[in-house]
Amino acid sequence: METNAREAILDRLKSAHPASVPPRPSLPPARELALDAGECVARFQEQLAAQGGVAFQMADEAALLARLEEILRQEAVTRAMAAEDAVLAPLDLSPWGNRVGVEIVSPAAFNDRDGYTRAVFDQVQAGITGADYAVAESGTLVLVHDARQPRLISLAPLVHIAVVPLARVVPTYEAAIASLFDGGRRPSQVTLITGPSMTADIQATPFRGMHGPQKLYVLLLG
Amino acid sequence: MKVSTARFRQTALAELANARTQKFLQILPLRLSARRQEAYGSFSDPEAAHRLGQAIRGEALARLPELLEQFERNAQANGAKVFWAADSRAANGYIADLARAKGVRYVTKGKSMITEELGLNEHLAGCGISAWETDLGEFIAQLLEKPPFHIVGPAINIPVEQIRDIFLAKGILDQPTTDPVALGKAARRFLRDKFRDLQMGITGVNIAVAETGTVVNVENEGNIRFNKSAPRTLVCVMSLEKVVPTLADALHLLRVLCRSATGQAAGAYISLDSGPRKNGENDGPEEMHIVILDNGRSAIYANRHTREALRCIRCGACLNACPVYGKVGGYPYGWAYSGPMGQVLTPALRGLADAGDLIRACTLCHRCKSICPAGIDHPGLLLHYRYKDVQADPLLAGRGADPKERLAHRLFALAGSRYAYWRLFSRTLRLAGRFFTRGEMLHGLGPLGRGWFQSRDLPALPKKSFHERWPEIAAKHDHRL
Repeated sequence: METNAREAILDRLKSAHPASVPPRPSLPPARELALDAGECVARFQEQLAAQGGVAFQMADEAALLARLEEILRQEAVTRAMAAEDAVLAPLDLSPWGNRVGVEIVSPAAFNDRDGYTRAVFDQVQAGITGADYAVAESGTLVLVHDARQPRLISLAPLVHIAVVPLARVVPTYEAAIASLFDGGRRPSQVTLITGPSMTADIQATPFRGMHGPQKLYVLLLG
Repeated sequence: MKVSTARFRQTALAELANARTQKFLQILPLRLSARRQEAYGSFSDPEAAHRLGQAIRGEALARLPELLEQFERNAQANGAKVFWAADSRAANGYIADLARAKGVRYVTKGKSMITEELGLNEHLAGCGISAWETDLGEFIAQLLEKPPFHIVGPAINIPVEQIRDIFLAKGILDQPTTDPVALGKAARRFLRDKFRDLQMGITGVNIAVAETGTVVNVENEGNIRFNKSAPRTLVCVMSLEKVVPTLADALHLLRVLCRSATGQAAGAYISLDSGPRKNGENDGPEEMHIVILDNGRSAIYANRHTREALRCIRCGACLNACPVYGKVGGYPYGWAYSGPMGQVLTPALRGLADAGDLIRACTLCHRCKSICPAGIDHPGLLLHYRYKDVQADPLLAGRGADPKERLAHRLFALAGSRYAYWRLFSRTLRLAGRFFTRGEMLHGLGPLGRGWFQSRDLPALPKKSFHERWPEIAAKHDHRL
């Protein structure tokens, strides 16, 4: 029956009167492509702020960790889950957390899915992740989800803190997305994150943290 | 959801008299239109960006069968299961069977107009499986059993007292409150429990990418991301026209979609899924099912006029531009799709039998057409539907012309066939008109044209026709007959 429906649908579509493919107007290059690296970072910060996110530019690892500690304290975080992606792994956050009094949980610590799910939903107040890119045009983080970057860390806790190397700030989506799908690569999920979770569904009153994070902090490193 | 397109007129009259609806309609569409306008300003060339989006949708439709096959191939190569559903019965059956096979007691749903079209919630409830809407507005609309008021804010017009009462009644809220943020938090807590223990999530699809087999969703709340990430089984339901050729096309469409819908450069969350989770990943679905839904679309694709309705990307910009929507709001449209979007989609998908007023509630002002990022000619389509309706078109279940209207047109044609008839007809009409003229305006013609005059007036009819006045005019201007 499945095959029949498929064939019947495709047959009907194919037997329809063919239409010509309309010509595409040429679009001048996006404005962001004319920005230099510093302007790109500024544009990213400004666009993210418009959507309720906060970005800080940190000169080195020590400054970044100091800022991270400050944010965790300010948000009263005692336990956080940190991804082990290529950006975060070198920071080795777990021993650092012990020193500053915040327990940093790794998703790899759970050998069953349910335990991990309970932890990320109920037992941590913040999720810390790296990001593969930061896109200037809309103030957007690009996260590729894989074994080292679970999906729920940037979604389930009330606070999301993302670390992005400055060199990963790009003007528009195209270059970032093309590289992620390059050579037949198919990441199971890619998310573009622009600000915290939000809604205005009751009386048009803005409310952050509807389902996902109420706060989004981005630490630009470099 | 109950379909109530046949009650367009009654619902519209009630909404016109509803002070609350009127208050929201004075603010919401204008605000969203202004934001859209401002957001388009960030394009290097807003007009070219607008036309590029339209060309992408035009190409998607022109190459539809080929793109669907390519999408299917790539989605399967990514590890997704693809099911082609001829109609809502097949789609609902497939999803219910899957839920039973997985032994789930409930499912959650991301905001999706297509599952409203399917009546999926009702079907699953009939199978003993609860289906929870998880977009806040849809969640409230579901509890209150109301259709969406606006595609961007389905329950934005609902008074907080009513939300408080239904939340208390359903055990979502412990302490009474009318604070919108507290109500939102209560919904968060309630739905969070559902997400944590979720076994099967269902979402719609904003864009499907043929070259990579990827499904793309846009949202602001994060409920769609939960639906795609928390459960072991994921079902993405897409209407067959959602496919576009390339990732680059999808990115451009996302830009125009977000700007057109809410005036954002990007929604808070855009997720691109290419198959289920891979080995070693902590979360994400073990099985990803993609349901490609026809539900009458391949039939309307055959007609070059109705095919145009399939360009729609559900941004809702046309609602904000429409002078009729701006007066009556979303309820009179009676189904998942409201405003001009609903007026072109609903008749195409459900036929014209109950759509008599729906396709006529349009002043043909062309504002929707001028701002549509997908390039739909709404007024042209509505004229086409009206034509098909009076022609009693079998495919669209046109109702045929009203007998009285047909008789009136016959008499009019007869009157125009001989000068003597015409003179008699027009003199009689002008004489009769005097009894119904107040001041400068003609307000009716007694029993004739009651429906027409219900919402219209005409300038008073002159005493003499142009033809009768011609000898005087000619003499005055020294013309010759």
